[in-house]
Amino acid sequence: MKASFITLLYLLLSHSLLTGCSQWRYDLGVPISGNNLPAQRTSLNEVLQSLGPPLRMSASHTGFIMAWEHWDIRENSLGITLGALGADFFSADWGEMRIKGEFLLVTFDHKHLVTSATHSDWDNDGGGGQAIQPFFSFVSVVDVEDLIDAMPQHDWGSLLLQADLPSALNSGSSSDTGQQGLQQRATPKAVGQQSLEMD
Amino acid sequence: MHKSILLIVLVVCASLLGACAQFESKRGVEVNWQDTVTNELVNGTSTRKDVLALLGPPSQIIALGDETALYYLFEHSEGEGLVLIVYNRMQINTRYDRAIFFFDENDTLSEFATRVYGADES
Repeated sequence: MKASFITLLYLLLSHSLLTGCSQWRYDLGVPISGNNLPAQRTSLNEVLQSLGPPLRMSASHTGFIMAWEHWDIRENSLGITLGALGADFFSADWGEMRIKGEFLLVTFDHKHLVTSATHSDWDNDGGGGQAIQPFFSFVSVVDVEDLIDAMPQHDWGSLLLQADLPSALNSGSSSDTGQQGLQQRATPKAVGQQSLEMD
Repeated sequence: MHKSILLIVLVVCASLLGACAQFESKRGVEVNWQDTVTNELVNGTSTRKDVLALLGPPSQIIALGDETALYYLFEHSEGEGLVLIVYNRMQINTRYDRAIFFFDENDTLSEFATRVYGADES
Protein backbone atom coordinates (compact mmCIF):
# COMPACT_ATOMS: atom_id res chain seq x y z
CA MET A 1 0.00 0.00 0.00
CA LYS A 2 2.75 2.39 0.98
CA ALA A 3 4.88 1.49 -2.04
CA SER A 4 1.96 2.01 -4.41
CA PHE A 5 1.18 5.36 -2.86
CA ILE A 6 4.79 6.48 -3.27
CA THR A 7 4.77 5.27 -6.90
CA LEU A 8 1.59 7.21 -7.52
CA LEU A 9 3.07 10.35 -6.02
CA TYR A 10 6.20 9.89 -8.10
CA LEU A 11 4.15 9.52 -11.27
CA LEU A 12 2.05 12.58 -10.51
CA LEU A 13 5.15 14.64 -9.78
CA SER A 14 6.83 13.48 -12.99
CA HIS A 15 3.80 14.39 -15.02
CA SER A 16 3.63 17.79 -13.43
CA LEU A 17 7.28 18.54 -14.12
CA LEU A 18 7.82 17.08 -17.58
CA THR A 19 5.25 19.11 -19.41
CA GLY A 20 7.26 20.13 -22.41
CA CYS A 21 9.22 17.33 -24.03
CA SER A 22 8.53 17.94 -27.70
CA GLN A 23 9.79 17.17 -31.17
CA TRP A 24 8.95 19.20 -34.27
CA ARG A 25 9.67 18.00 -37.78
CA TYR A 26 9.39 20.26 -40.82
CA ASP A 27 9.73 18.90 -44.33
CA LEU A 28 9.69 21.71 -46.90
CA GLY A 29 9.53 20.67 -50.52
CA VAL A 30 10.74 17.41 -51.95
CA PRO A 31 14.30 16.13 -52.47
CA ILE A 32 15.83 17.42 -55.68
CA SER A 33 15.78 14.59 -58.16
CA GLY A 34 19.26 13.35 -58.95
CA ASN A 35 22.54 15.07 -58.45
CA ASN A 36 23.19 15.55 -62.15
CA LEU A 37 23.80 19.22 -62.65
CA PRO A 38 22.51 20.62 -65.94
CA ALA A 39 25.47 20.99 -68.29
CA GLN A 40 26.35 24.32 -69.83
CA ARG A 41 24.24 25.17 -72.87
CA THR A 42 21.41 22.86 -71.75
CA SER A 43 18.12 24.37 -72.83
CA LEU A 44 15.60 25.82 -70.40
CA ASN A 45 13.01 23.38 -71.66
CA GLU A 46 15.15 20.37 -70.73
CA VAL A 47 15.83 21.76 -67.27
CA LEU A 48 12.15 22.45 -66.64
CA GLN A 49 11.14 18.99 -67.81
CA SER A 50 13.74 17.43 -65.54
CA LEU A 51 13.30 19.52 -62.39
CA GLY A 52 9.89 21.13 -62.79
CA PRO A 53 9.24 24.81 -62.23
CA PRO A 54 11.74 26.44 -59.87
CA LEU A 55 10.88 27.39 -56.31
CA ARG A 56 12.71 30.68 -56.61
CA MET A 57 13.37 32.79 -59.64
CA SER A 58 14.72 36.19 -60.51
CA ALA A 59 15.72 38.24 -63.51
CA SER A 60 19.37 39.15 -63.88
CA HIS A 61 21.29 41.44 -66.20
CA THR A 62 22.58 38.50 -68.21
CA GLY A 63 19.34 36.47 -68.26
CA PHE A 64 17.68 34.90 -65.27
CA ILE A 65 18.31 32.70 -62.25
CA MET A 66 16.36 29.70 -60.97
CA ALA A 67 16.66 27.79 -57.72
CA TRP A 68 15.21 24.57 -56.31
CA GLU A 69 15.41 23.68 -52.62
CA HIS A 70 14.48 21.06 -50.05
CA TRP A 71 14.67 21.48 -46.28
CA ASP A 72 14.32 18.95 -43.47
CA ILE A 73 14.33 20.67 -40.06
CA ARG A 74 14.30 18.77 -36.77
CA GLU A 75 13.71 20.54 -33.50
CA ASN A 76 13.92 18.78 -30.14
CA SER A 77 13.19 20.46 -26.86
CA LEU A 78 12.69 19.54 -23.25
CA GLY A 79 11.06 21.87 -20.79
CA ILE A 80 10.42 21.55 -17.10
CA THR A 81 8.05 23.93 -15.40
CA LEU A 82 6.27 24.12 -12.09
CA GLY A 83 3.27 25.66 -13.78
CA ALA A 84 1.16 22.54 -13.42
CA LEU A 85 1.69 22.68 -9.67
CA GLY A 86 0.26 26.18 -9.57
CA ALA A 87 3.61 27.91 -9.28
CA ASP A 88 4.12 29.60 -12.63
CA PHE A 89 7.44 31.20 -11.77
CA PHE A 90 10.09 28.72 -12.79
CA SER A 91 11.01 26.99 -16.00
CA ALA A 92 14.08 25.14 -17.26
CA ASP A 93 14.41 24.50 -20.97
CA TRP A 94 16.79 22.72 -23.30
CA GLY A 95 16.58 22.60 -27.05
CA GLU A 96 18.48 21.72 -30.19
CA MET A 97 17.90 21.86 -33.93
CA ARG A 98 19.22 19.86 -36.87
CA ILE A 99 18.99 21.17 -40.42
CA LYS A 100 19.32 19.11 -43.58
CA GLY A 101 18.86 20.68 -46.95
CA GLU A 102 19.61 20.87 -50.63
CA PHE A 103 19.86 23.89 -52.91
CA LEU A 104 20.31 23.88 -56.66
CA LEU A 105 21.03 27.15 -58.43
CA VAL A 106 21.02 27.44 -62.22
CA THR A 107 21.65 30.56 -64.26
CA PHE A 108 20.46 31.10 -67.82
CA ASP A 109 21.33 33.58 -70.53
CA HIS A 110 18.83 35.50 -72.66
CA LYS A 111 18.75 32.62 -75.14
CA HIS A 112 17.38 30.29 -72.43
CA LEU A 113 20.59 28.27 -72.22
CA VAL A 114 22.30 27.23 -68.99
CA THR A 115 25.39 29.29 -68.24
CA SER A 116 26.18 27.78 -64.83
CA ALA A 117 24.81 25.38 -62.25
CA THR A 118 25.75 24.60 -58.69
CA HIS A 119 24.33 22.26 -56.07
CA SER A 120 24.91 22.08 -52.34
CA ASP A 121 23.59 19.86 -49.59
CA TRP A 122 24.15 20.08 -45.87
CA ASP A 123 23.36 18.34 -42.61
CA ASN A 124 24.22 20.76 -39.84
CA ASP A 125 23.65 21.52 -36.22
CA GLY A 126 21.24 24.44 -36.36
CA GLY A 127 21.92 25.65 -32.84
CA GLY A 128 20.12 25.34 -29.56
CA GLY A 129 20.47 26.26 -25.96
CA GLN A 130 19.51 25.92 -22.34
CA ALA A 131 17.70 28.31 -20.09
CA ILE A 132 16.61 28.58 -16.50
CA GLN A 133 14.07 31.35 -16.22
CA PRO A 134 12.88 32.06 -12.69
CA PHE A 135 9.93 34.38 -13.22
CA PHE A 136 8.84 34.64 -16.85
CA SER A 137 9.86 32.72 -19.94
CA PHE A 138 11.40 35.42 -22.14
CA VAL A 139 13.78 33.38 -24.23
CA SER A 140 13.03 30.63 -26.72
CA VAL A 141 16.07 28.35 -26.82
CA VAL A 142 15.37 27.13 -30.37
CA ASP A 143 14.18 29.45 -33.11
CA VAL A 144 13.16 28.06 -36.49
CA GLU A 145 10.88 30.89 -37.63
CA ASP A 146 13.16 32.25 -40.33
CA LEU A 147 13.63 28.75 -41.78
CA ILE A 148 9.95 27.94 -42.21
CA ASP A 149 8.79 31.23 -43.70
CA ALA A 150 6.27 31.18 -46.53
CA MET A 151 7.66 31.68 -50.01
CA PRO A 152 8.19 35.33 -51.08
CA GLN A 153 5.90 34.91 -54.10
CA HIS A 154 2.92 35.27 -51.77
CA ASP A 155 3.93 38.88 -51.20
CA TRP A 156 3.52 39.68 -54.86
CA GLY A 157 2.53 43.29 -55.30
CA SER A 158 2.41 44.15 -51.63
CA LEU A 159 6.03 45.28 -51.66
CA LEU A 160 5.03 48.09 -54.00
CA LEU A 161 2.17 49.15 -51.80
CA GLN A 162 3.95 49.74 -48.53
CA ALA A 163 2.62 52.86 -46.94
CA ASP A 164 5.64 54.30 -45.19
CA LEU A 165 8.18 55.89 -47.46
CA PRO A 166 11.48 54.38 -46.25
CA SER A 167 10.13 50.81 -46.60
CA ALA A 168 8.60 51.57 -49.99
CA LEU A 169 11.98 52.67 -51.26
CA ASN A 170 13.37 49.21 -50.49
CA SER A 171 11.18 47.46 -53.05
CA GLY A 172 13.43 48.54 -55.93
CA SER A 173 16.22 46.33 -54.65
CA SER A 174 14.28 43.70 -52.74
CA SER A 175 15.26 40.09 -53.36
CA ASP A 176 11.62 39.08 -52.91
CA THR A 177 10.34 40.76 -56.06
CA GLY A 178 11.88 38.36 -58.57
CA GLN A 179 13.67 41.22 -60.31
CA GLN A 180 16.75 41.78 -58.19
CA GLY A 181 18.23 38.39 -57.40
CA LEU A 182 17.23 35.76 -54.87
CA GLN A 183 18.46 34.40 -51.60
CA GLN A 184 18.15 31.25 -49.55
CA ARG A 185 16.02 30.91 -46.47
CA ALA A 186 17.50 32.24 -43.24
CA THR A 187 20.04 34.48 -44.92
CA PRO A 188 21.13 36.94 -42.20
CA LYS A 189 19.69 40.44 -42.54
CA ALA A 190 23.12 42.01 -42.57
CA VAL A 191 24.18 40.24 -45.77
CA GLY A 192 23.80 41.38 -49.37
CA GLN A 193 21.54 44.03 -50.78
CA GLN A 194 19.02 43.72 -47.97
CA SER A 195 21.65 45.17 -45.63
CA LEU A 196 20.92 48.49 -47.37
CA GLU A 197 17.20 48.37 -46.62
CA MET A 198 15.72 51.23 -44.65
CA ASP A 199 13.23 50.68 -41.84
CA MET B 1 -4.82 -1.22 -2.74
CA HIS B 2 -7.28 -1.48 -5.60
CA LYS B 3 -7.85 2.27 -5.52
CA SER B 4 -4.13 2.95 -5.80
CA ILE B 5 -3.78 0.64 -8.79
CA LEU B 6 -6.80 2.25 -10.39
CA LEU B 7 -5.28 5.68 -9.86
CA ILE B 8 -1.97 4.58 -11.37
CA VAL B 9 -3.78 3.15 -14.37
CA LEU B 10 -5.72 6.40 -14.75
CA VAL B 11 -2.54 8.49 -14.58
CA VAL B 12 -0.83 6.29 -17.18
CA CYS B 13 -3.90 6.45 -19.41
CA ALA B 14 -4.05 10.20 -19.02
CA SER B 15 -0.46 10.50 -20.17
CA LEU B 16 -1.02 8.21 -23.15
CA LEU B 17 -4.41 9.48 -24.22
CA GLY B 18 -3.44 13.11 -24.27
CA ALA B 19 -4.53 14.45 -27.60
CA CYS B 20 -3.78 14.32 -31.22
CA ALA B 21 -3.78 17.17 -33.66
CA GLN B 22 -4.14 17.54 -37.37
CA PHE B 23 -4.08 20.73 -39.36
CA GLU B 24 -3.40 22.10 -42.78
CA SER B 25 -2.52 25.44 -44.26
CA LYS B 26 -3.05 26.56 -47.83
CA ARG B 27 -1.65 29.66 -49.42
CA GLY B 28 -1.36 30.98 -52.91
CA VAL B 29 -3.16 30.62 -56.18
CA GLU B 30 -5.75 27.91 -56.60
CA VAL B 31 -4.28 25.05 -58.63
CA ASN B 32 -5.72 25.16 -62.14
CA TRP B 33 -2.66 23.91 -63.95
CA GLN B 34 -3.37 20.21 -64.09
CA ASP B 35 -2.25 18.47 -67.29
CA THR B 36 -5.83 18.31 -68.52
CA VAL B 37 -5.89 22.12 -68.52
CA THR B 38 -2.40 22.88 -69.79
CA ASN B 39 -2.77 20.37 -72.63
CA GLU B 40 -4.68 23.15 -74.36
CA LEU B 41 -1.55 25.30 -74.44
CA VAL B 42 0.92 25.11 -77.31
CA ASN B 43 4.35 26.67 -77.37
CA GLY B 44 4.67 29.20 -80.17
CA THR B 45 0.91 29.54 -80.59
CA SER B 46 -0.80 30.23 -77.27
CA THR B 47 -0.65 33.75 -75.90
CA ARG B 48 -0.44 35.31 -72.49
CA LYS B 49 -4.12 36.11 -72.78
CA ASP B 50 -4.87 32.37 -73.19
CA VAL B 51 -2.86 31.48 -70.10
CA LEU B 52 -4.45 34.20 -68.00
CA ALA B 53 -7.90 33.14 -69.17
CA LEU B 54 -7.18 29.54 -68.11
CA LEU B 55 -5.34 30.12 -64.86
CA GLY B 56 -6.24 33.61 -63.66
CA PRO B 57 -3.82 36.09 -62.05
CA PRO B 58 -0.42 34.62 -61.17
CA SER B 59 1.51 34.79 -57.94
CA GLN B 60 4.30 36.70 -59.59
CA ILE B 61 5.06 38.37 -62.92
CA ILE B 62 8.74 38.50 -63.69
CA ALA B 63 10.10 40.93 -66.28
CA LEU B 64 13.00 39.44 -68.24
CA GLY B 65 13.94 42.21 -70.65
CA ASP B 66 11.66 41.80 -73.66
CA GLU B 67 10.21 38.61 -72.20
CA THR B 68 7.93 38.02 -69.26
CA ALA B 69 7.29 35.02 -67.05
CA LEU B 70 4.12 34.23 -65.14
CA TYR B 71 4.74 32.21 -61.98
CA TYR B 72 1.96 30.40 -60.11
CA LEU B 73 2.48 28.99 -56.62
CA PHE B 74 0.24 27.09 -54.24
CA GLU B 75 1.78 26.23 -50.87
CA HIS B 76 0.14 23.41 -48.95
CA SER B 77 1.22 22.35 -45.45
CA GLU B 78 -0.15 19.37 -43.56
CA GLY B 79 0.63 18.77 -39.92
CA GLU B 80 0.01 15.81 -37.68
CA GLY B 81 0.76 15.75 -34.01
CA LEU B 82 0.72 13.59 -30.96
CA VAL B 83 0.21 15.63 -27.80
CA LEU B 84 0.81 13.58 -24.68
CA ILE B 85 1.49 14.93 -21.25
CA VAL B 86 5.15 13.99 -21.19
CA TYR B 87 5.91 13.87 -24.90
CA ASN B 88 4.71 15.85 -27.91
CA ARG B 89 5.56 15.27 -31.53
CA MET B 90 4.54 17.32 -34.58
CA GLN B 91 5.29 16.53 -38.18
CA ILE B 92 4.64 19.23 -40.79
CA ASN B 93 5.03 18.54 -44.49
CA THR B 94 4.94 21.39 -46.97
CA ARG B 95 4.58 20.92 -50.70
CA TYR B 96 4.70 23.52 -53.45
CA ASP B 97 2.48 23.12 -56.50
CA ARG B 98 3.77 25.49 -59.16
CA ALA B 99 3.71 26.47 -62.77
CA ILE B 100 5.79 28.79 -64.88
CA PHE B 101 5.09 30.25 -68.32
CA PHE B 102 7.52 32.21 -70.50
CA PHE B 103 6.36 34.67 -73.14
CA ASP B 104 8.37 36.35 -75.87
CA GLU B 105 8.19 40.01 -76.84
CA ASN B 106 4.98 39.31 -78.80
CA ASP B 107 3.28 37.78 -75.74
CA THR B 108 3.45 34.33 -77.33
CA LEU B 109 4.07 31.34 -75.08
CA SER B 110 7.61 30.10 -75.60
CA GLU B 111 8.04 27.57 -72.78
CA PHE B 112 6.20 26.32 -69.75
CA ALA B 113 6.33 23.70 -67.02
CA THR B 114 4.00 22.61 -64.23
CA ARG B 115 4.22 20.44 -61.13
CA VAL B 116 1.30 19.30 -58.98
CA TYR B 117 1.68 17.01 -55.97
CA GLY B 118 -1.08 14.61 -55.00
CA ALA B 119 -2.34 14.38 -51.45
CA ASP B 120 -0.06 11.47 -50.55
CA GLU B 121 2.75 12.19 -52.95
CA SER B 122 6.13 13.20 -51.56
